[in-house]
Amino acid sequence: MPDSLALNDFLAGVERRAFRIAQIALGHEQDALDAVQDAMLRLARGYAQRPQQQWRPLFYRILQNRIRDVQRRRRVRRRVMSLLPWATDDVEDAVEQIPDPAPGPVRQLQGAEALGALHEAVRTLPVRQREAFLLRSLEGLDVAGTAQAMGCSEGSVKTHYFRALQSLRSRLGDLIS
Amino acid sequence: MSDGKRTQDAFEQRVTGLLRASASELDAATSSQLARARRTALQATGARTWPGLRYLVPAGAMAAALLLAVILIARQQTPGVIRDAGTLTTLDIELFSDAEAWELAQEPDLEFIEWAAASARAEGAGG
Repeated sequence: MPDSLALNDFLAGVERRAFRIAQIALGHEQDALDAVQDAMLRLARGYAQRPQQQWRPLFYRILQNRIRDVQRRRRVRRRVMSLLPWATDDVEDAVEQIPDPAPGPVRQLQGAEALGALHEAVRTLPVRQREAFLLRSLEGLDVAGTAQAMGCSEGSVKTHYFRALQSLRSRLGDLIS
Repeated sequence: MSDGKRTQDAFEQRVTGLLRASASELDAATSSQLARARRTALQATGARTWPGLRYLVPAGAMAAALLLAVILIARQQTPGVIRDAGTLTTLDIELFSDAEAWELAQEPDLEFIEWAAASARAEGAGG
């Protein structure tokens, strides 16, 4: 029987960062909530018996897969809608309708412009770079944990992270310094 | 990027700080929804997945194939859309001959597929 208290503590510890990672990737608050909830459920149902030190990379691997599922489904829907005879070009695109990423004191104190630009810049990174950057920077996973979560080598994590950082620095260097 | 424990420079520190602060200051409604999701997950700990779910994937693929067929028929019957049926078929087969065909076949949202198919049928019948 898994330790429910430990699992609760773990999920409570990661849920906010996980939500923000999903929201940046998907650009949609409800989709992000759904992705995080699904990742929680899958971890609880399938992996709660695993050693606790494995939970974090497992959880984020599940979450990344879920995020990719949502993005794939959006592409399919756009494709299907474009095939319908009466469809127009103004099909709703959730990615282009990015909600306010962080209401509250942070934006007021540290600059809405910088945070909004940062979220947008991270969202538009190539997928693997974005994953590596968010897992390393926002979640604070080490290289080995990030590699486990992404299902790639540690060398790939370093490369993706470095390129993401380079890209962000070139885009935001003047705004965030 | 020498190793996983290297020192962050000022830009990295600033970016990391902004991201983490934005994650820690979620609004009350979002925090509440996350807490509810967590409780739901904890209740599901150890619960078995419904074995019938495994049959939804082939059912989804079948529904996707049905949708494609209905769309092709509906577009052939819709005047003024594309009049050359041969060109239409070739075009649409080409449209689906890439990786997205696999994505469509993997679409698990049967409700959406069924809605789109029903809409295409209704439009074809009416137009």
